[in-house]
Amino acid sequence: MSEVTFMGVPRSRIDWYPTIDYDKCNYCMDCDEFCPHNVFEIRENEEKKLIVKNPHNCVVFCRACGKTCGLDALSFPNKTETTKRIKEVRKELEGND
Amino acid sequence: MTSRYAVLPCNGLDKSVGCITREIALGLVEKSETDLICPVMFRVSDARYTKIAADKPLLVLDGCATRCASKLAAEKGLKVAKKITVTEEAKNRKVAVGKSLKLGDSDLRLAEAVVEELLKEEKPKESPAGQDFSTIVYDYETYKKDKFIFRVPRSGFYFNENDCWVIVSGNRARVGVADFVQQSLSDIMFFTPPAVGAEIEQFGELGSIESGKAVFEVISPVSGVVTAVNDELISAPELLNENPYEKGWIAELELTDFDEDKELLLDFEGYFKVLKRKVDEFHVK
Repeated sequence: MSEVTFMGVPRSRIDWYPTIDYDKCNYCMDCDEFCPHNVFEIRENEEKKLIVKNPHNCVVFCRACGKTCGLDALSFPNKTETTKRIKEVRKELEGND
Repeated sequence: MTSRYAVLPCNGLDKSVGCITREIALGLVEKSETDLICPVMFRVSDARYTKIAADKPLLVLDGCATRCASKLAAEKGLKVAKKITVTEEAKNRKVAVGKSLKLGDSDLRLAEAVVEELLKEEKPKESPAGQDFSTIVYDYETYKKDKFIFRVPRSGFYFNENDCWVIVSGNRARVGVADFVQQSLSDIMFFTPPAVGAEIEQFGELGSIESGKAVFEVISPVSGVVTAVNDELISAPELLNENPYEKGWIAELELTDFDEDKELLLDFEGYFKVLKRKVDEFHVK
């Protein structure tokens, strides 16, 4: 599969994905049930029963799983910083053409 | 004071944000002609509250993202005029809500600030539909997959990769979501508008829309200040399903720097490619 890009930037270079606050999470798994992109993975037999397995599957700027979380246990990066980063990488890639 | 609502708080007893909705509701009742709807009593006594909700604009107060009060309003088939979520209000005001169910000083101040803002908000309504956008000619290209048809307007619109569009006239812009969003969500039941006057950065949140399946955060293709929202969507969110480019527009903004924003936007050709890829991937699953 060719490399996935977002706005012309390889997805792997954009740090956008949810972070689970394990102090708040009660493993209701609503976020996993909701996300159609397989970002999370359930691990029944481990202490952390839910992990962010495929961070780069996460849709850049999407925070929808966070809205399913009544406990506010999911956080995301700062959008302004992320946009800045995307612009930087685009500049860099233009320079390489 | 002429402000008045029928207010439906979630009154969630076991979370501090739920307790704050109660405080806000009581504040409104005390300071304006607001009528209170008790969510617990509402479950067993329709007659009493349905009338109140019909007489006055309904304000729904949710504590957290579980949105119990919104869901109750939907269940009862009520028209929602305005919605507030305490966790969002706290975030916007950079207030940390205490964990204790007995509200602390900062919790009470937060409730008070929300009440004040609600009572201040008696803005004379400008006509929400900007004249500048009345002459748009809509000409759609479509992409079909199974029984789904995805429309994309051929000219005048720009898109971001999050399936939101913008059309610009001078320094003003109208923003909305693409067909892909409404098709993926299916029947849209709630629209939470952004605040008029809010300053939004490119890719910032411009309210959200919600169906039984999911919540979709509207991701602004442009930076600017919100000058109008499409109020019709609050009582008729189905307009988003009918046509998200026309009657289903979301908000209007005064632009900050469209030339710079444009660098990260797609034109019709670019977006149509992205759309086809998304539809094909979505349907493989």
